[in-house]
Amino acid sequence: MTKKPQMYGLLRPTRRGVLRGGAALGLGLATPSLISRAAWAQDPKKLTFISEESSPKAQAVYDKINADFEAETGVAVTMEYPGFENIAQRVATLIASGTPAELVWYGAGSAMEVALQGQFADVSGLVSDLGIPENLRLVVDGADRSVATSQQFVYGWYRSDLYEEAGLDPYTDWDSYLSVSESLNAPPEMYGTIVPSAQTGAAHLLMETMMQKNDAHWFKLNDAGEYEVALDDPDNMAKVIETLEFLGAAHKFAPEGSNYSWGDLMSQYFTGRVANSYYVGARLLEQTLTNAPDLAPLTKPIALPPKATDNYYLSVQGFHVGLGSNEDAAKQYITFFMNHPAYIEWLHSVPLHIIPAKQEVLLSEAYQDNDVIQQRMDVLEFLDSVWGKGRAPYYWDGDKLNKYVGVYQNDNLGGWMLASMNIGGKSPEEVVQEAAATIREKMEDL
Amino acid sequence: MASHTDSRDRGWIAAAIGPALILLLVTAYLPILYALTLAFYKKTAFSPNMSFTGLDNFYWLLGKDDLWAALGKSVVFTLGSVGFQLAFGLFFGLLLNEAIRGRSIMRSLVILPYLLPTIVIGLVFRWILNPEFGVVNQILLQTGLVDRPINFYGGINAAMPSIIITTGWQYGSFAVLLILARLQSINPRLYEAARSCGAGRWRCFTDVTLPNLRTTLLLIALLRGFWMFNKFDLIWIITRGGPLEATETLPIYIYKIAFQDFNFGRAAAGCFVMFTILLVVSAVYFRFFNPTKEIEVNR
Repeated sequence: MTKKPQMYGLLRPTRRGVLRGGAALGLGLATPSLISRAAWAQDPKKLTFISEESSPKAQAVYDKINADFEAETGVAVTMEYPGFENIAQRVATLIASGTPAELVWYGAGSAMEVALQGQFADVSGLVSDLGIPENLRLVVDGADRSVATSQQFVYGWYRSDLYEEAGLDPYTDWDSYLSVSESLNAPPEMYGTIVPSAQTGAAHLLMETMMQKNDAHWFKLNDAGEYEVALDDPDNMAKVIETLEFLGAAHKFAPEGSNYSWGDLMSQYFTGRVANSYYVGARLLEQTLTNAPDLAPLTKPIALPPKATDNYYLSVQGFHVGLGSNEDAAKQYITFFMNHPAYIEWLHSVPLHIIPAKQEVLLSEAYQDNDVIQQRMDVLEFLDSVWGKGRAPYYWDGDKLNKYVGVYQNDNLGGWMLASMNIGGKSPEEVVQEAAATIREKMEDL
Repeated sequence: MASHTDSRDRGWIAAAIGPALILLLVTAYLPILYALTLAFYKKTAFSPNMSFTGLDNFYWLLGKDDLWAALGKSVVFTLGSVGFQLAFGLFFGLLLNEAIRGRSIMRSLVILPYLLPTIVIGLVFRWILNPEFGVVNQILLQTGLVDRPINFYGGINAAMPSIIITTGWQYGSFAVLLILARLQSINPRLYEAARSCGAGRWRCFTDVTLPNLRTTLLLIALLRGFWMFNKFDLIWIITRGGPLEATETLPIYIYKIAFQDFNFGRAAAGCFVMFTILLVVSAVYFRFFNPTKEIEVNR
C-alpha cells in the first residue's frame, strides 16, 4: 500500500488552519497601515519638504537654507522634488496614505483643492507678519492656507527683428494681433504665432488668459452667493465664442502640432520657427538665452492683446503646511526662508521668471543685482508696469473663492475647447455647450 | 519518529519558501487585494479616510460612455499592435532564419528596440515624427509627397495608427526572438518530405512552417495581447491619450480618474473591470486555443 503524499498547510485546509490564515491575513492587511502610521509619528526634529522646483540652482539654494535652518534650530529638512507634472499627485498620495508632508511648495491653484478638503493648516499669522499682498492670498474657510513666495503672469514674447524687417508695430489689440501674425506667417520656415490646441496646460492657459482679456467667465455668483456655471449664459457665451473664434483665426498662422506642452512651446520659439509666442513668466527667455543666445536680445516681452480688460492670468506659488504634521517647525521654516539672505538668490535661480511676491523686493537693489536682470531691465520694467493686474483664476469669477476652478483646470478643459474647434472641427457653439455640460456633470459628482 | 521527520521536513520547507512567499505576499498580493478592496469604497486622494459604498463605483463607471469608448480604443490598439508585432516577427523571423550574409549582426539589431527603455523610444519617435522638425516630415515635404507636415501624434485620425506602429516596432523584436527560436527547431526532414511530394515554397510555408509555429504565434498573441491591453507608459509619454481622447485606452482612462480626478475608489473599480476582461479573455483562449497541444506532424 503506497502512502499518500503528505499535503502541508495551505493545501489541506482545516478549521484551525483557516482561522490562523485569516488572522495572519488580517494582520498582513493592517501591517502597511500600522507601519506608515508609525513612520509618520511626528518627530519635531524632522521636516519633509516637497517642492515643485526643478532648477538645480534653486535646489542648491534650498540646500544652503536648509543647512542654516538645521544649524539654528536642530530641525533637519528632507527635500523631495517630484517635478511640476507630478507634484499634485505626490502631495495627494501622501495625504491619502496618512503621511502628509510638512511643507509643500507649489502653485496655490493646486493647493486650493487640498485646502478645500481641510488638509492644509491655517497660516494667516504668517501671511500677516510677512506682509503678503492681498491678491496673492488664498483664503479657505476663513483662513489663509498659502504663504506666497513668488508669482508669474501669462504674457507674450515676440521677435523684434522680424517686426522691424517687416515694418510692423507690436500688436496692441486682437485685430492687430491677427494682422501681424498673418504678415509674419511664412510656413513651413516661419509661423506667425503659436496656438497649441490640445488638452495640455499650455493650451488651457492660453484659452483662460484670453477669456480673461475678453471678460468672459466660467462661473458666476448667483443670488444665494454660490457659484454656478456661466459658460453658456447667453451674454457670456457670446464672449467665450468670440474668444474661441479669435484663437481659431490665430491658429491658422500657427504650426501644425496640436499636442504641445510648455517645452514644445519654448523649442518652437528658440529654434526660430515662430514670430510670436507666450509663456507663464520668463522661462521662455531663459531657454532662449541658453539655446539661442543670438535670438535672446531680439526677444521682447509684450502683453497678450487686451479686448475688454487688461487683466493678466496670475499664477501664485507658495508654501503650504500639511495639517496635523509637524506644523510649528514648518511655520518656523517659512519665516526663516523668507527672511534668509539667500531668498534673493533663490529668486535669481531663474532670473525674471520667479517674480517676488512683493513689489518692493522686485524694485530692490539686491534683486536687481543680477547680470541677466541688468541686461534685461526692459523685462523688469514690463513686470513693474503690469504689477497688480494679475488675477488668480479662483478669484476671477467673483470676490469669493471659487472652489470649482479645479473642475475645469485639472483636465485642461480650455485646451480641450481649443482642440475640439481647431483640430476636431466642432463649431465654437458646440464646444462651449459641451464644456458647460462637462463642468455641470463634474460639479454634480463632487 | 515519523512525525519528528515530518515536522523537520515542514520546517525546512517553510524556511526555504517562507521568505519568498512573504515577499510575494507583501509586494504583490497585498497591494492587489488592497486595490480590489478600494473598488468598494469612496476613497479620494485628499483624505486618509474611506467609506464603504458597495457597488456605487461600478455603477458610476459602467454608466460612463467614456469607459466604453476607452475599451473600444484598447481593443483597436491591442489588436492593431499585436497584429503588427506578429507580422513583424514573422517577416524578420523567416528572413533571419535564412542563410543570408550578415545574419548575426541583423539578429542583434532586430533585438535592439526591445532593449531600449520606453522613455527613449517615446522621445525618439516624438522627434522623428514631429510635424516641424521630424525627419519623416522633412522627407515627405522635400519629396513633394505632402504640402504640409503630417501631424502623426497630434492628428485625430493619425494618432492611433502612429502609436500602434511605434509599439509594434518596439515589441516586434520579442516576436522575432520566439519565432526564430521555434523555426530553428523544426525538423528539416519535414521540408524534405514536403518537397519530395512536389510542394513549392508557399506550400512548405503553409503546410509545414505555419502549423509548427501555431503554438508560438498563439503564445505571442496571448502574452503580447495582455501586455498591450495593459500598456500605459508609451502612450502616456507620447500622446497622454490625446488628441481629443483619440488614444485614450483603458489604462490611460483609469489613470486619469486616479490622478486627475483623484478618485482612487473609482480608479480601482476600473482596474477591477480590466482584470475581469483579461480573465475572461484568457479563459476563452485556454478553452479554444489549447496552447499545450502540439501538432502531430512534428513527432
